[in-house]
Parts: sequence; C-alpha cells; structure tokens
Amino acid sequence: MTGHGPAVAAVGNTAATGSNGTYFSTYSVVGILLLLGVAFVATAFGANRLLSPHAPSPEKLLTYECGVDPVGEGWAHTQVRYYVYAFLYAIFAVDAVYLFPWATIFAAPGFKGTTLVEMFVFLGFLAVGLLYAYKKGVLAWL
Amino acid sequence: MAISSLVQNVSYAQIAAPLIVAAGAVAVLVAEVFLPVRRKQLVSWLSLVVLAGAAAPDIALWPGRTTGTFCMPQSAAGLYSLGAGEPHGMPSTCSYVADRFALIFQFVALAGAFIVVLMSAASMKRDRIPTGEYHFLLLSSVAGALVLAAARDLITLTIALETVSLPAFALVGLKRWSGRSSEAALKFFLVSVASTAVMLFGISLVYGATGNVHFAPVALHLHALSSGTNGPMRHLAYLGVGMTLVGFGFKVSAVPFHFWTPDTYAGAPVPIAAYLSVVSKAAGFAGLILLTGTAFSPLLDKTGPLLAVLAALTMSLGNLVALRQQDAVRLLAWSTIGQAGYILVPLAAHDSVSYTKHINASVAYIIMYAAMNLGAFAVVHSVHATSLDAYRGLAKTRPLASAALAFFLLCLAGLPPGLMGLFAKVAVFGAAAGSHLVWLAVVMAVNVVIALYYYLSWTARLFAAPDAATASVGRSPATLRFAIGLTMLAAVVFSVWPQSALGAF
Repeated sequence: MTGHGPAVAAVGNTAATGSNGTYFSTYSVVGILLLLGVAFVATAFGANRLLSPHAPSPEKLLTYECGVDPVGEGWAHTQVRYYVYAFLYAIFAVDAVYLFPWATIFAAPGFKGTTLVEMFVFLGFLAVGLLYAYKKGVLAWL
Repeated sequence: MAISSLVQNVSYAQIAAPLIVAAGAVAVLVAEVFLPVRRKQLVSWLSLVVLAGAAAPDIALWPGRTTGTFCMPQSAAGLYSLGAGEPHGMPSTCSYVADRFALIFQFVALAGAFIVVLMSAASMKRDRIPTGEYHFLLLSSVAGALVLAAARDLITLTIALETVSLPAFALVGLKRWSGRSSEAALKFFLVSVASTAVMLFGISLVYGATGNVHFAPVALHLHALSSGTNGPMRHLAYLGVGMTLVGFGFKVSAVPFHFWTPDTYAGAPVPIAAYLSVVSKAAGFAGLILLTGTAFSPLLDKTGPLLAVLAALTMSLGNLVALRQQDAVRLLAWSTIGQAGYILVPLAAHDSVSYTKHINASVAYIIMYAAMNLGAFAVVHSVHATSLDAYRGLAKTRPLASAALAFFLLCLAGLPPGLMGLFAKVAVFGAAAGSHLVWLAVVMAVNVVIALYYYLSWTARLFAAPDAATASVGRSPATLRFAIGLTMLAAVVFSVWPQSALGAF
C-alpha cells in the first residue's frame, strides 16, 4: 500500500505537467522496498543457519505433520467428481464478482429500472447454466 | 441538481439479429436437455428457424442506418473530442451501428451458418457429436460474428471476436473420440489465444496513444499524431496498430500466421471446417476492414504496404502448398489461405481515396467466396472421404454431386462456367490496378494460374475412370442435398447476376 500511494499521485502529476521523470522516479520506493524485503529474509535465514546447532537424526528428518508420524505417500487420490463441483464453484464465484459493483450503483441517481432488469437477465443466464448441469446429471451424487 | 440518465438508449431494432441468435442459442441448449432421445433431431430445425428468423430484422433494416445505438451521452462525448475549434465536428461515439456494411456481413454469417446447420443435420449421429452443445456453441459463435460486423469501438470488437472464437475451439474438438479432433482444437486454441494476447496489447497501446476506444475519435487522434511532433507517442501508436492487425492476421489465417489452419480444418468435423473457413473468416475480414478503413484510416500509407506484403505471401504460399495436398479437406484448407490472399488485395490501398473506391471488391469477393467454398465443403462432407483419389470417377455414381463440386471448383479457380469466381477475381485485379499496385496484380495473376492446376486436377479426377480407391457413396441425406442445392443456387445467381454481390457495398 505504501508503494502505491506515490505512484497514483504521480499519475496526476504527469497529466498536469506532462513530464515522465517524476512518474518513474517514484518507482524507486518500490525498488527499495523490494531490496529491503530480500535482505530481511536472507539475513533471517542466514543467521538461523549460522547460529543453530545441526545434529540430524532419522526422526528429525521426517516430514512434519503437526507432530504425528506421516502415514503413506504425499500423493493422495481425489474423486474426479469433485472436479465438476470445483468448476461450478469457480464459475459462480467469478460471476458473483459482477454483483458487487452493480450493488453499489444500481440505486444511485441516473440508473433506473433498466439496471435492475439487466442484472436479472444476467442471473437468468446463470440459472440456465445450472438447469443444464442439473438435467445432465452433474449435480446428482453418485 | 438534476442528473440525466446514465443508462444508454438501446435501439432494439438494430440489435435484433444478434439478440435473436443469442436467445436462440440458450433456447436450443435448454430444449435439447428436455427433448426425449429420439426427438433430438428437432434441435437442428430449431437452429434453422432461429437463423432464418434473425435475418428478418436485418431485411427490415436494409439498406442500413448511419446512426447507431449504445452511443455515449453527449455530455460524455465531449470528453472524447480533440478540444475546442476542431474542424471535424463531433465524432460518432456509438458502439454498434447496423449500417450497410454491417448488414452485408450479418447476412453472410447467417446464411453461412444456415448452410452449416443443414450440412451437419444428418451426420450428427454418425459422427457422435452431442446435438444440443453443437448447436448452442454454433449459434453463440454466430451471435459474436453478427456483433463484430456492427462493432464501432475497440472493446466491442474484441469481445465480439472472442465470442466468435471461444465456442469455435469447443466445436473443433466436439468429436471427442477422435485424437485428431482434440489435437486440432488444442492447436486452434493455443494459436488463437496467443494472437488475442498480441491484439489486446496492440489495442491497449492504441488506447494509450489516442485516449479513445471508439473508431471515429481514434482516427482523429491518429491523424493528429501522424502529422504532429510527438515522436515517441507516434511510434507507440504505430506499434499498437501493427500488433492489432497481426491479431486479425491470425483470424483470417494470413501467412505467416496461417500454420494452424490445415491441421484444424482436417481434425474438425467437416461442417465446422466449413464454418471456420467462411463465417469465422468473414468475421475476421469484417474486423480488418473496419479497422483499416475507419479507426486506422489516417495510417493507410503505413498499413497498406504491410497488407500488400501479407496478401502476396498469403496467396503465394497457400497456392504453392495446396499443389502438394492429397487430402480433400487439407487441399481446401490451403486453398482458403490462397483465397484469403486475394481478399486482402483491395485492403492494401495506400490512400483513402482508392481504399474506399475499391473496398467493395473485397466485400464482393467474401460474399462469392462464401457461396462457392460452402458448396465445395458440403460436397466433400457428402462424399465422406479424405483422399483425393476417392473422387476418381465419382461422376458415374454421383453425377449431380460431382457436377456441383466441379462447378464450385471452377468458381474457386475463376474459370468459365464458374463465372462468379472470374468476376470476383477481375474486381480484385481492378482494385490492385486502381491502387497502383501493379506488382501485386502480377503476383496475383501468377497465383491464379498456379491454383488452376490443383482445382482442375481435382475436377479431372471426378470424370476419370473409377478404380479401387474410388469411394462408394450412397445417396446423401435430404438435408445435405438441400444444402448443396442452396449453395449451387447462390453460385448460379452470382454467376449470371454478379452485380448483386459486386454492387452490394
């Protein structure tokens, strides 16, 4: 967020003055932040490696699963049926995103009943998709 | 303070055609899941009714309106002008205009899709293609093509182009049991997505340089930029214009952006290959003509030479590679690449005077090409054989279909009695000569001669003595015969009355 503010302000400046210099120089804040971040992580891990004692045993090298000994392999089977559900969820989640900007303005002055009807047309298309999935047996469990 | 309505006025008469097709697509999808299994054939008829019904409002609109719909409110349109004292007046900021140009391409798309549905009606079961999904996807794609022809801003153009393309990927891969079909769909998808990315980047640069998305203001700003002193911004705009045109080059499979075409056509169901070669390609050309003729018209001296080189490369490579093809659909695929080269020729004009004077040659060529190419694909679909040798002696067993195919091939070659192809090629020659592109006319003449070889050798095979490789074909289903008859009728009408196509635009 801190890197964002100056850049936005600079866009306003560019429009006013027409110079590109101030716009790109504000990116130096982002660059410094990036360097600081890398330095922080590198220092923390480096210090840990240098200061900590290193005495491995087979138990210590096991995969850590909340303290319980791991059973079986890392690969797990998932029923392919979930794939369709995941798909449906993703579609409806993405579609729902359109509802939020609409909800903020549909009652505002200048937007009349048309705006309300438009959203129900959109929702009608979604309902048709759901109806199609239902008739094709996608929603039935087993 | 009174706030005027922010909702744009919509002229439903103008957008009726795409609306009917889009609503029809949903209706077809729902109808199919509710129909009992033995009645699924009805879906094809429903599609035909939708496509014919969508033509009705367009006929009522003919010869088109110059004012559009989805226009920016006047208060907002002020933001888009170049400022006080501009000489050109307020540029049009309507997103959708059903003018003469748009209506012509909408008729081509509707008629083409009508023929494709007729072609595929009887072969859905044989090819194990899911009926409802097929027609839903086809109608969705057609709705995109209808909007594209009438789009008058870069965003509508992009969305419409994607609406044409996205269902087409699935249509190509609908023969799910066939590995080739899936391969074709994947290739088509990857190439198309890459080209869309290039085009979107180009459009974003154009928007960045001009600050507009509507064609008319973009043209004003490009004119100001090309004669102005802002060097970096001018080059940015040129780069954007070039990348946008490259994106459309993929859609019309112009060389060097053509390599997906033969594999995709060969893997797709034959009616879908016909759809891609006619409706999808016509939509691509509509977009290309709209961009070069309106939005990018101040840069014709830059885009003209670019398109001239593309046209020469496209027709030369398409025809040369077609010489070596032994597979009917692949030969037609390379032939459509060659034909796309001819259509590009009138777009290569260097100045707006010769461009507007000769662009009707491109439009007429597309109309005639739609009839002859759909006809050739329909006969290939009815013969249901891939190898060219399967066509040896077909005139004995299937005289009518052979005569039709021979006529369509002669049209594509531009030889009498296929007068339609001859008139179309003469019009394009006239455009090249009128635009002072003599070298391009010479390249085209050489190409027409090269193309004669493979069209004529295919035609000759039809009338040769049958041998072991000859396909044994029974009578085609009535719907397919009707499709061939319709394209034949169109081809004959355009041959004896070419003015109906040449004077359309």
